[in-house]
Amino acid sequence: MSIPKVVGIEQEYAIKIKGEDGLSAFDASCMLVNAYARKVGLREPGMGMIWDYGHETPYQDIRGQLFGKSTGQEIISEEENRLINASLPNGARLYTDHAHPEYSTPECLSARETVACDKAGERILLEGLRLMNEILPSSEIALFKNNIDHQGHSYGCHENYLMEAETHEDYLVSSPQKALETLIPFLITRQIFTGTGKVGGAGTGPQKTPYQISQRAEFMEVLFGLETMYARSIINTREEHHADKKRFRRLHLILGDANMCEFAGFLKVGSTQIVLQMIEDGFIIEDFTFKDPLNAIKQVSARFDSQVELADGRKSTAMELQRRFLERAKEYRKIKNVPHVPEVDSILECWAYALEGLEELKLSSDFNLENDPMEIKRRLDWVLKLWLINRYRQGKNLDWDHPKLRVLDLQYHNIDAREGIFYQLQDQGLTENMLDDTEITRSVWEAPTDTRAYFRGKCIEKFPKEIRLVNWEVMSFDQGEIYRMVPLLNPLKGTREQFQEVFEKSRDSRELLALIEASSTG
Amino acid sequence: MAAIQKTKQPKKKKVKKEDEVTFAPGVVSEEKKKRLKKLDEFIEGVLQEAGEEFLDEFKQIEGE
Repeated sequence: MSIPKVVGIEQEYAIKIKGEDGLSAFDASCMLVNAYARKVGLREPGMGMIWDYGHETPYQDIRGQLFGKSTGQEIISEEENRLINASLPNGARLYTDHAHPEYSTPECLSARETVACDKAGERILLEGLRLMNEILPSSEIALFKNNIDHQGHSYGCHENYLMEAETHEDYLVSSPQKALETLIPFLITRQIFTGTGKVGGAGTGPQKTPYQISQRAEFMEVLFGLETMYARSIINTREEHHADKKRFRRLHLILGDANMCEFAGFLKVGSTQIVLQMIEDGFIIEDFTFKDPLNAIKQVSARFDSQVELADGRKSTAMELQRRFLERAKEYRKIKNVPHVPEVDSILECWAYALEGLEELKLSSDFNLENDPMEIKRRLDWVLKLWLINRYRQGKNLDWDHPKLRVLDLQYHNIDAREGIFYQLQDQGLTENMLDDTEITRSVWEAPTDTRAYFRGKCIEKFPKEIRLVNWEVMSFDQGEIYRMVPLLNPLKGTREQFQEVFEKSRDSRELLALIEASSTG
Repeated sequence: MAAIQKTKQPKKKKVKKEDEVTFAPGVVSEEKKKRLKKLDEFIEGVLQEAGEEFLDEFKQIEGE
């Protein structure tokens, strides 16, 4: 039985530093986190809020101890914790991961709001950067929302989807063949609209095409796995559900690209929400198992219209498989009404538009865009970037391996509009935008109202000095003689509908918790 | 030859917004020319500013 598909995105930003000798990426990232936290009033004297790592289990595998590691998490001091982390009033987490600034959106119910929160993350990072540049005026630091550095390294744009526990266990632990038949083929083929494109090949991929549609595809080495920095998997099996495990599970995906185009980001999240819901309702019955999934993901990335072999000997393009998923989703819409996916009709319409546009898209053998009658390049990153690169390459008569093309590839993702090429394309009216600016601005300051992010965000906004611990699944208050903990084990509870009134009536966390207790016992 | 059945969707007429700049070949409007020129100038500026060391400086440490 399907459940609402709560979504969160974790984006690692590339950070480039010029000047300021000795300033490491880690130091710069921590400065940025704290500059923004200070701006929103989270670094006042006496504030003791820290991130609760007690609920993180990065070494545990959903398939059991045999697959996990025996070592525990590292212990860090409270001072280090605050240096690295900031939990924000919009329900998000801004932090330093290794040497990257990372932004985790709050939990969202709709694909549209997920994109708005992801874009809000860009603005928050940019504001942090601006504040940091005031402190270090001689520094030249830039941030990029992408997934590769063209030197063989990759970093993630991870997606998290709430799944019903029984289906998650069945598909990913008891009978992973089911995931191979449906979910993995969907994820491998969705890159035709989610890919952000990259010039040339890197890493270990066998395909040496001049341009690939996905940045992450060739870094995928296993089907299921725990790791995120090597032996990357199509389905990540980290046992860390951030919710009541008996009812809810987290599907953690690390294969996606970081979209700049709102349309592509919306379609990535929305189509995945619908497919997961169909899986939970047992509505996908066809077997699309690839003969060699790890080769298939690279093959599709190398050439979006290539024929890929299925396990039963059939051959299909990614577009044809996506068309089957879309047709099934339309049937599902008619029969089941897709109650849990907001804006389902808009998602289906965008999905159909993207596939039709890609079916009519023609590339030459040298990757020139020969025909794009539906102007899909206004909507999908990899097509837009390809148009841009080709325009420059041909104008200057450059070979595909010219370094300037790789610079353009990277600068497409620079989040500062003064240097970022995507934002210049947007300014020149060359992209199709979906969001109103007010939606993004609201997501900078306010949490989504229909998930537990509302409760977390309101607590941080109203009572930051009283908060001791924050995590996705818990809030803890320091009330002097006692720590009081509020579990948030159901991502669908803690909404504005439930708690707006008590927040309005509460002057501090004691009153808040008293009112909540009174309402639950009364 | 694909063995999987393909269902062709009805063509949708693309609704064109007033301020939308098309990439389509053919008639190139003055507005489009102006915007593409701005884009080209912007790209030249970005490349010049980046300099030859940009790619080396970009090297990242992977995150989790």
